[in-house]
Amino acid sequence: MSALAAAADLSGSGGPGFLSPTGAEVAFVLIGLVVLGSALLVVTTKQIVHAALWLVVTLGGLAAEYLLLTAEFIAWVQVLIYIGAVVVLLLFGLMLTRAPIGRSAELDSASKWPALLVAGAAAATLLTVVVDAFHAAYLDLGETGDGSARVTGESLFRVWVLPFEVLSVLLLAALIGAIILSRSRGDDADRRR
Amino acid sequence: MTLFEVLVRLVLVLLCFLVLPLVIGQTEHKVMGHMQARVGPIYAGGFHGWAQLVADGVKFAQKEDVVPAGADRRVFRLAPAVALIPYMVVLIAIPLGPGDLVGRSIDAGVFFVLAVMGVGVLGSLMAGWASANKFSLLGALRTAAQLMAYELPMLLAAASVAMAAGTLSLTGILGEWQWWWLPWQAVGAVVFFTAGLAELQRPPFDMPVADSEIIFGAYTEYTGLRFALFLLAEYAGILVLCALTTVLFLGGWHGPWSGDVGWLWTLLKTGLLAFVVIWLRVSYPRLREDQLQKLAWTGLIPLALGQLVLTGIVRVATA
Amino acid sequence: MTRMSKFPGAGLAKGLAVTLRTMTKRSVTQGYPEVLPELPPRSRGVIALFEENCTVCMLCARECPDWCIYIDSHKEVVPAKEPGARDRTRNVLDRFAIDFALCMYCGICVEVCPFDALFWSPEFEYATEDIQQLTHEKDTLRAWMWTVPAPPALDERAEEPKELTMARRAADKLAKEQAQAASEASGASASEASEAPEDGTP
Repeated sequence: MSALAAAADLSGSGGPGFLSPTGAEVAFVLIGLVVLGSALLVVTTKQIVHAALWLVVTLGGLAAEYLLLTAEFIAWVQVLIYIGAVVVLLLFGLMLTRAPIGRSAELDSASKWPALLVAGAAAATLLTVVVDAFHAAYLDLGETGDGSARVTGESLFRVWVLPFEVLSVLLLAALIGAIILSRSRGDDADRRR
Repeated sequence: MTLFEVLVRLVLVLLCFLVLPLVIGQTEHKVMGHMQARVGPIYAGGFHGWAQLVADGVKFAQKEDVVPAGADRRVFRLAPAVALIPYMVVLIAIPLGPGDLVGRSIDAGVFFVLAVMGVGVLGSLMAGWASANKFSLLGALRTAAQLMAYELPMLLAAASVAMAAGTLSLTGILGEWQWWWLPWQAVGAVVFFTAGLAELQRPPFDMPVADSEIIFGAYTEYTGLRFALFLLAEYAGILVLCALTTVLFLGGWHGPWSGDVGWLWTLLKTGLLAFVVIWLRVSYPRLREDQLQKLAWTGLIPLALGQLVLTGIVRVATA
Repeated sequence: MTRMSKFPGAGLAKGLAVTLRTMTKRSVTQGYPEVLPELPPRSRGVIALFEENCTVCMLCARECPDWCIYIDSHKEVVPAKEPGARDRTRNVLDRFAIDFALCMYCGICVEVCPFDALFWSPEFEYATEDIQQLTHEKDTLRAWMWTVPAPPALDERAEEPKELTMARRAADKLAKEQAQAASEASGASASEASEAPEDGTP
């Protein structure tokens, strides 16, 4: 997450007007900083529900970034799926199991430094790759409405239809797997009875 | 669009947001009263108690703002705003009349509206958790379970209309609308409206606030203005749901003389649906939690999928 | 569901119909503080005391199931009117109070009073902020007498009240005696004329 935000920062200020950024670019950088900050808070806060709530801020900020890049459809899907469903599911799970108010000590993992190392390395790799690939590219947001639902749909179902279908098969497999897992446990219970 | 025009539109939307939920609330008081052979509020304001909600607001403002000792203060205080603001944002995208009579026409309007509406539930979750009260927590859990069950049929039903119109924009959908969409999308309309009721936690789907079981669910510990904001969020939710059902399924501003009085048609249909919401509340008892889940997963989702198939077939056949 | 209806959802529609029908009817709410309720005859609002009729016989206080009637009295000597006769005594009511916090509105005291001193009044607006103030003394009870309505009219072909029968019987008797006395007097003055009124009244 932080890597993405950092990458976004760089690409935002990499336009032709490097020293005179437009309002949208300034907003992009500022929101990027908010996303980065809240993402850091997600992993550093000692209160587990606060972590989930900071995740909402992070994901919402990302949706705002998509919006600034005119990817309207992706932005709203981001809000719908990640904030409306994933975080709600997360909070549901947290509240169902353990969600004490206040700090919990066991939230500090012992493998915190290796994790930081891995995250840092991944971020650095992504950053390098993205900067290397797009450092000279500039997207003029004023002209292209490239993120509209129509364009996204057309490219998804004309150009990228095979990966899309493969993904859907994967999801179907996961769905069936979940059903089988939950059912087999029920059978066990029946047999034991 | 100039800055001034944008400001005027925002102020108008805000005005709608502040007035219409109160109108719905007052109607609920009166309609519920008469449906139960009572008269409802009668004193405040003189004429049929029209100022009852104003008086309620004054009362709420005078009350002490209590935060429980064991609560997570920041989250507790933030929750009402999180519950209320999304509905205000949604109202911007709902077209009132033909042409440019809309706060802001959004390209992926259907997705925008449903996505932002889903965020409002976070407010209930935050309130329930931060209250440090087991009834609040139970209410929040029920809210979350209910949301997850009903988001899907709502989305599927809305997708059916988007498929029929060939666009995700709310103004675009209204532009394509024909009268025969009414029977064509009828099942979708019922599914959408029912799922919306469940998402708003309106009776008969009000287990998250079931007063006889868990007091007032996630809002148990709230007092004063913050409590009033939650109530306002509920009525704003009714407004948004009814307006959305109107726009997606009932043709919005379409109707005789829609060129001149299109906005009146939208308001009329929305009001009619709001009446139905109140009517359902008076008529039916609360469902049990498991009955609710069963209705969603075995009733509404298959219906919504069937509607999608029907829409697809008709769309291909007429194309 | 125990009974299957013909159409799915018929029960749901029925519920909606009931509420809709109720909405179109007049509500049953009474606008109480502005519009006073029309109470049925013999409403048991409060017990009033017609003090003049009370003889301090104490029957009401003794019959009261929860002992909520308080009566104090003293005797007064009424001097004899004629010389040589005995002095008479008379009961004078000092205190008559009913504790309406205890009273259960059974009405036994009203029924049992032999002298028609206790009546039901439809007055009901005597709520207080303190339970102590629910014990009402005889002046208040007497004042409530003014709110006691006239007894409702009898049914059309009902037997007439005993009081009326007794009074008519007494009046008839008196009239007969007077007529007899008159006829005797006239018979003594003119005995040949005594035949005529008997012909006139067959």
